[in-house]
Amino acid sequence: MPPTSPSPYLFDEFFASGKEESISPFLTPDSRTWGKNLSLRSALFSVVFLLIAFIASFFSPSLYIISLSLVYFLSGTPALIDAINDIRKLEINIDVLMTLAALLSVVIGSELEGALLLVLFEVSGAMEDTVAHKTKGALNDLHELSPRSAFVLQPNGETTERAVREIQPGEHLLIKAGEIVPLDSTVIAGSSYVSLKHLTGESEPISKKSGDPLPAGARNLDGTLSALVTRSSTDSTLSRIIQLITQAQEAKPRIQRLLDRFGKWYALSIIALFFFFALTLPLFTSLPYLGTEGAIYRALTFLIAASPCALIIATPTAYLSAISSCAKKGILLKGGVILDALARCTRIAFDKTGTLTTGDLQCTGMAALSGNGKIDETAALSIAATLEQHATHPIGNAICALALARGLSKLPLQDFRSHPGSGLEATVLLDEKWVQAYIGQASFIHTKAPSLPEDFAASAKDARTFLYIEGSLFSLSFTDALREETMDAIATIRKEHSLHLAMLTGDSLKNAKVIAQKLGIDETAADLRPEDKLAKVAEWAKEGLIMIGDGINDAPALARATVGISMGRIGSASAVEASDVVLIRDDLSVLSWLLTKAKKCTSIVKQNLLLAISVIFLASIPALLGFVPLWLAVILHEGGTVIVGLNSLRLLKR
Amino acid sequence: MSLPPPSDHFKGKTVVEHLQETRKKGAMAAAEIHGTEMSGSAAACADAARETATALLLIGLIFSFTGSYHAFVLFFLLLFCAGWLIWKTGRSALLGWSRLERLHRLIEEERWEIQHNREQEREELAGMYEAKGFQGKLLEQVVDVLMADDNRCLRVMLEEEMGVTLEAFEHPLKQALGAALGVVAAAGLALIGWLSGGYPGLFVAAALLLAAATWLSCSLERNRVLPALIWVTAVIALLAGVIYGIFLKFPTNV
Repeated sequence: MPPTSPSPYLFDEFFASGKEESISPFLTPDSRTWGKNLSLRSALFSVVFLLIAFIASFFSPSLYIISLSLVYFLSGTPALIDAINDIRKLEINIDVLMTLAALLSVVIGSELEGALLLVLFEVSGAMEDTVAHKTKGALNDLHELSPRSAFVLQPNGETTERAVREIQPGEHLLIKAGEIVPLDSTVIAGSSYVSLKHLTGESEPISKKSGDPLPAGARNLDGTLSALVTRSSTDSTLSRIIQLITQAQEAKPRIQRLLDRFGKWYALSIIALFFFFALTLPLFTSLPYLGTEGAIYRALTFLIAASPCALIIATPTAYLSAISSCAKKGILLKGGVILDALARCTRIAFDKTGTLTTGDLQCTGMAALSGNGKIDETAALSIAATLEQHATHPIGNAICALALARGLSKLPLQDFRSHPGSGLEATVLLDEKWVQAYIGQASFIHTKAPSLPEDFAASAKDARTFLYIEGSLFSLSFTDALREETMDAIATIRKEHSLHLAMLTGDSLKNAKVIAQKLGIDETAADLRPEDKLAKVAEWAKEGLIMIGDGINDAPALARATVGISMGRIGSASAVEASDVVLIRDDLSVLSWLLTKAKKCTSIVKQNLLLAISVIFLASIPALLGFVPLWLAVILHEGGTVIVGLNSLRLLKR
Repeated sequence: MSLPPPSDHFKGKTVVEHLQETRKKGAMAAAEIHGTEMSGSAAACADAARETATALLLIGLIFSFTGSYHAFVLFFLLLFCAGWLIWKTGRSALLGWSRLERLHRLIEEERWEIQHNREQEREELAGMYEAKGFQGKLLEQVVDVLMADDNRCLRVMLEEEMGVTLEAFEHPLKQALGAALGVVAAAGLALIGWLSGGYPGLFVAAALLLAAATWLSCSLERNRVLPALIWVTAVIALLAGVIYGIFLKFPTNV
């Protein structure tokens, strides 16, 4: 047997997925594919066998029975197991009634109709499972941001790897460049730039040095840090975000719950009525118990007629058609009821970084603050790019990208020194003369050029990065780049839907306002921590709120909003998991189409429900009174089902 | 490091006794019970082929003694093979799923132990690695490293404490497909043997099938082929003798 090398997070992924067979740690990797989408595959086989059975019913009783047996085996067995489990938990719901109706269909000789009922349910259930599974995915991003182990500095200077959960406040951590901060802590030695992009949405790296707080989940970009643990793993920032997601999901109103509650009472009532009529009709009338004119026969007819087949498929088929249509457009919906919620919303709120913008820092230019005029801005940018060419953090990348876009070439340099978390220095050859250059934050520049006034940075508004070259001082400004389609997408939503547009971001108010003005956003809330964002969303959600975001910091808000929409390709796994809708191509321009589709779907669901309820009343009461024979009850019942199904298919149009 | 005293987690047993017990539990969870101790589609195929050949041989023997009509025998054999195919395929899949459920339950229980009984799990790891020759500070370091990551610790516990191998089993449906192929191949060859050579043809085909399936099983299990072949032949001979004896006592005409 070849040596195995399972993913280090194999078990976490497996348990997070709800023990999915397709990622079972015990199955060989090539064998796991056999467990993917099993219920959907089984449902599709059932559809094929049902079609064969229907065709064979006209000419081959043998083939008819074999095909029908396969349908009942594939679709009926899981339904029966689920129904028995529900009954054991004293939950009498529509599923139980559906299974009972299908089995009674066999008893009264309408086995094909019973099979149709089972197959329709299996298909709709399997498709919803598959969509939910696709949108859930593996939780790799979250695992990556919540390290299981960390290096603890011992008093004797040695480091030991320990489980994060066992590390207590007061212990010392060693966090190397590129690592994730495992626990909330305070820097006690070293300096470095850290990225909080996934935690707060802040796209610009933050400098951290002795005394600064470090939140768990931040990524250490360049230097090595020693830090004092301030909170245990259960109280850390990352755990708090995860708790917020869970709380928000539990607090979220779900239309599905209403439907389930209704279904439970309906099913219980119909079953109770079936037994009541079967047992009591002979006591009050001259009807016998047995025979085609007996009480049991009438009660059975009533049960079939009142079985909510049309009612049950009224919503899932409509939602499935809409889901399928959405999937073709690159929109994944976690359940069709989301469409109802979408249609009810009055406000739409966007996260900024990664949603309206690309999330990549863009250097918008530099401005001379003081100097002797010997060095112009073009030369200064060239020097800045030369210094930053080996940097790995986003500021350096943005400066280099701007220099490249302007066709500036790098200059020769020597004596390069990096001060992690502070800045860079080197001697650069400019016009055949070596000049000393420094780039970094204000405090770093001030230590290198003490002649500058202490508050020199004040004149540069919110600029955080400065370049100093032999008496000349420049400030560099940065912004997020807008996504290509954002302008048009927002304009279309404003034009076609009467929604109040808002922006929620953890980024600074200054950066947020620039973007909001460009796009014509009605309301902006900035400098928001995840809990602030959640509070704002909870307030707006009372009137129906669509929240669109991508980062881990958006996850609680996405879960709490009436409808959470995440960006699938760039979005973090936790945001994708917390949301109800995933835009798999990260394309905001489909939002307007989605809102229109949601309204149409709601309208069709209402039509279907009206039709289904009408059929039930038309068939069940006369059935009980003896005016509708069993065969007619079945025809009315199935006819209603077919019409409802066909009406739903109209939603398949793109 | 001396062995720790018994605790509630160990239910009055020493660490070593506890380890022995959990290893047994692991072995039971991983065991396959569809006729061979090997799991997987090849083993299922060999097992299904061998059982199909045996069953057809038995049916052939009975019909050869009773002298039934050719058409009736063919009809009966086809019906039997169809039913047998469904049964063997379904059974193989169900046994695979049953094993997977046991293993998943096992992993869940062990994960819970690691998360909630960390001290006892440390003791178990220390016991295991002490038995491998680690001592003193090195032993403590080994245990620290293993306990630092739950995923790593769980894998070590499953593989070394319980003797369960990860990524070693095939999906139940793949295994079932192996069983189905075994039945189809064996039934097909046996029927060809019967159609071309009558009962002797059926017996020869069944004997060849039994030999091939036994050889395949032995290869997979790395057992000796010749004794296994002889034992299988002896069992078939015994079967034939008993059937013939019963027939002589109660002769019937079908």
